[in-house]
Amino acid sequence: MTNHWSDMVHADVIMIMGSNAAENHPIATKWITRAKEKGAIVVSADPRYTRTSSFADVYCKFRSGTDIAFVGGMINYALQNDFVQKDYVLNYTNASFIISEKYGFDDGLFTGYNPASRSYDKSHWAYELDGKGMPVRDMTLQHPRCAFQLLKKHFQRYDVDTVCNITGAPRDVYLQVCRHYTSTWAPDRVGTWLYAMGATQHTHGTQNIRTYAILQLLLGNVGLAGGGVNALRGESNVQGSTDMALLFHILPGYLASPTAADQSLAAYLASNTPRTNDPKSANWWGNYPKYIVSLLKAWYGGHAARENDFAFSYIPKRSGDYSWISLFEAMYAGQIKGLMLFGQNPAVGGPNTNKEIKALEKLDWMVAVDLWETETASIWKRPGVKPADIKTEIFLLPSASSVEKEGSITNSARWAQWRYAAVHPVGNSRSDLWILDALCKAVKKEYAAGGVFPEPITRLAWDYGTGEEVDVRKEPDVHRVAKEINGYFTQEKTVGGRQYKKGEQVPGFALLQDDGSTCSGNWLYCNSYAGPEKKDNKMARRSKRDAMNGIGLYPDWAWCWPVNRRILYNRASVDPTGKPWNPKRWVIRWNAGKKQWEGDVPDGPWPPGEKHPFIMKPDGHAWLFAGNLNDGPLPEHYEPLESPLPNMMSRQQVNPAIKLWHKDAPEMNAVGTADRFPIVGTTYRVSEHWQAGAMTRNLPWLAELVPDVFVEMGVDLARQKGVQNGDRVTLETARGKMSGYALVTRRFEPFRHNGKIVHEVGVIWHFGYQGIVKGDSANVLTPHVGDANTMIPEYKAFLCNVYKAKGGAS
Amino acid sequence: MKALLIDVTRCVGCRGCQVACKEWNELPAEKTRFFASPKGYQNPRDLSSKTWRVVTYNEAQTNGRFEWVFGHLQCFHCIEPSCATACPVSALQKTKEGPVVYDPDRCLGCRYCQLACPFLVPRFEWDKAIPKITKCTMCADRVAAGEEPACAKVCPTDAIVFGEREDLIAEAENRIHRNPRGYVHHIYGKDEVGGTCVLHLSNVPFEVLGYRTDLPKISLREYTKTAMQVVPHVKIGLAVALGAVSWVIQRRIRNGRDEKNGSSSGGES
Repeated sequence: MTNHWSDMVHADVIMIMGSNAAENHPIATKWITRAKEKGAIVVSADPRYTRTSSFADVYCKFRSGTDIAFVGGMINYALQNDFVQKDYVLNYTNASFIISEKYGFDDGLFTGYNPASRSYDKSHWAYELDGKGMPVRDMTLQHPRCAFQLLKKHFQRYDVDTVCNITGAPRDVYLQVCRHYTSTWAPDRVGTWLYAMGATQHTHGTQNIRTYAILQLLLGNVGLAGGGVNALRGESNVQGSTDMALLFHILPGYLASPTAADQSLAAYLASNTPRTNDPKSANWWGNYPKYIVSLLKAWYGGHAARENDFAFSYIPKRSGDYSWISLFEAMYAGQIKGLMLFGQNPAVGGPNTNKEIKALEKLDWMVAVDLWETETASIWKRPGVKPADIKTEIFLLPSASSVEKEGSITNSARWAQWRYAAVHPVGNSRSDLWILDALCKAVKKEYAAGGVFPEPITRLAWDYGTGEEVDVRKEPDVHRVAKEINGYFTQEKTVGGRQYKKGEQVPGFALLQDDGSTCSGNWLYCNSYAGPEKKDNKMARRSKRDAMNGIGLYPDWAWCWPVNRRILYNRASVDPTGKPWNPKRWVIRWNAGKKQWEGDVPDGPWPPGEKHPFIMKPDGHAWLFAGNLNDGPLPEHYEPLESPLPNMMSRQQVNPAIKLWHKDAPEMNAVGTADRFPIVGTTYRVSEHWQAGAMTRNLPWLAELVPDVFVEMGVDLARQKGVQNGDRVTLETARGKMSGYALVTRRFEPFRHNGKIVHEVGVIWHFGYQGIVKGDSANVLTPHVGDANTMIPEYKAFLCNVYKAKGGAS
Repeated sequence: MKALLIDVTRCVGCRGCQVACKEWNELPAEKTRFFASPKGYQNPRDLSSKTWRVVTYNEAQTNGRFEWVFGHLQCFHCIEPSCATACPVSALQKTKEGPVVYDPDRCLGCRYCQLACPFLVPRFEWDKAIPKITKCTMCADRVAAGEEPACAKVCPTDAIVFGEREDLIAEAENRIHRNPRGYVHHIYGKDEVGGTCVLHLSNVPFEVLGYRTDLPKISLREYTKTAMQVVPHVKIGLAVALGAVSWVIQRRIRNGRDEKNGSSSGGES
């Protein structure tokens, strides 16, 4: 999130799209309903009328997978009606930047496309530079190649009729949505945009979010209280795990994971450190060398020195894409021998689970670390298989739950909040930290006896207070971990006239060094534990004091990255002279007398106008036009991999930059067509169950509330299929089939596209063959295909058929 | 007198209240199944001795607008509860703080309260050897300790709030006044059966939520008293009650045998 949960109360309009907040983030509704009490308009855009829609002022339906058309039409509506915060757009976005003559767009393809590799040469989308290497700008926004005009031209094609034909949204309701939301272009009005996995889990998920960002920038809603682009994360600590490099393409703190091309630290830095010739650009990522060197110092301590490139050669260089689907394809192809799973249940949660279970069977060994024996941990005894036929040796390590261990979690709002252990772990279960500490020591011991390249393991700095031997009674000191993540001086050092002693905690990331004198396990968390004592752990703070602007920032409650900044890009909340766009709910303001900012922690200390506000971009401006994405600088509508309709915008049926697994690895990757599977299917969660269900289908009180898989379908479709409420129905796709109870409801209406009726059904995906309550896994239906940038699987839109099965509920 | 105000326009149907109720009152889960009804997500089917609070899911078309509204089944904690009047041994009592509580040690299991309650709230422990009546106590133990009931405490949207009944009525009137098009102009429980300590506000007619709208505005206690006076003295009442207990136990044993033989229904009724 750019903003935070309680900040939603300041919004005048709240758009909830790609999120069922009431279902999956009930606590968000606390702030949304409070905003409503103050007169805010709540809009829910969703294929199905949900618990979130139940309290929205406007509910607008649209077919799964047509988000870009939906929001593209809103962008067009704002541009055509001049509902644009002009000063903001001109000064703070790249609207005025001239784009290369090589840029072009025709029939769904941007220039630079290579059909053989299904990828783009992004140099076609670069800025035009002047003789000094500065981007050329047209402050009148009239130049035909300025980003603003290109944007306008691109989205002109998304007129209301076209959009409603593609999405199936009712025209009058859609226009209401456009009117409400674009009303926030006025400087004294603000809109917030909430989204979640409904937006990201598509072959064009990244571009879905791009449409939100573009609209929010045009309306001047980013950086303001009650504004922003807010990802409601799918788990309580997803933000934290992403910050700490859960994903394959990053190291902690969003540093790029090195590839085979990065054979030296210098080569790595050359390809990753952005440069600018604009003196007004803070170009914060210019600090890349400080952050990677400090990280290597945290990992290798005294073994990381300038002489050995700070041990850069010790960290793995990836040779490709190690995302979820790719890993399971490699496993299926027999290229991966072992797997460790921490709180992961791919036999329920992975896409195309029939294939993923087969892939797990090809492993030599698997370790599942979990609270319960999950479906994945028990594939060897799942219904219909003989244990003797499964060669994979499976180990189950019982782990402690979140209330049984001390540590931090980082919520969607980027707040790192410290938690204490409330109770001792049950039985022989251990914290993840204990398990990792013991594992690392054991592996180190093995490598101490020799190995092909032992140094990356044997020289790993590893001292969390339990000594050399594994001891079941000794829990590692989680405070040592937290202090290392913050970072400390590894030698005496003078910075900015102040002398820091060896071992002293680094007070903030502005002081991190690239000469090896500091370490930090994650530069973004530098400042979270800024002193040696437990009282210096800012994540444990619980003060309810508010900041002077009185907008509920509560700066002394826990700690927020970066440097406790509660609203990101807050320099964009003021005009170029430092005056808040909206003085009534100001975030920061310039105190000319004291010559300092007040309110939230600003995006850098410089006086107003001295630096551009979007400090993480090399050009200092927010990107309406984003030349760095794999599938184009502007979002364009493509149909999901499986769709009942041709793409009405171009001849490119699907995102041209996605990897087509059904072509590259056809086995168990069948793709369905509308003749056999005419119905759109989607998957989702309910409040009562959590993810793959291990944590809730094993709790009687929650199992009682939702004891079975149900399939939601509209009244018309049910009538056509002869299905009554409570009947058993089977859903089938090209990849698999599963059954559940039919929940026939008016909340799922058919869509009308150019006169053609398309039905959609939805199914909860929490179930599996373990637990108190059991049921079929919905992910046997979903395909192995991912987003062009993130490879996140397309769980949210596929083709299926539905028919009545035997049995039913009374 | 304390009360709960349930504003269904604020309820998002998350059922945190339903779970918190079981958690605080240490009520076991029921074995449930998806069941065929227009109620969709609802489970269990009904109140029971193990479930004192149920959120219902109601699809409705009102004023040309489709609505999905979440109702709340639980004890209404009448100001003059007919269940308490009907109880021959005063196991059920109205406390001055507001909750209608019961003393399981006194309960004979006669089930007069079930017949007397216009909201069909008290439920019988059919699965116990010596069954008693159970129902929501408005977390009287929490209330006595100065805390709000578990359902109100956990509600993320303040759809359930706890406070002085007078204040809550004023608050409810204020909400209707501030947003006249957003509410049915009626506070359910303000006058029904002489007034209750659980008040409801809604944006759809109360019958859509399954609430009885045919109730008199006076206390039902008078009817109950009259009925009880027919019984000449307590001894006969006791005899009747104990006879009922015996009948129930026999029936329970019979049912238990049936269940073992394979019939398993979700709820208890």
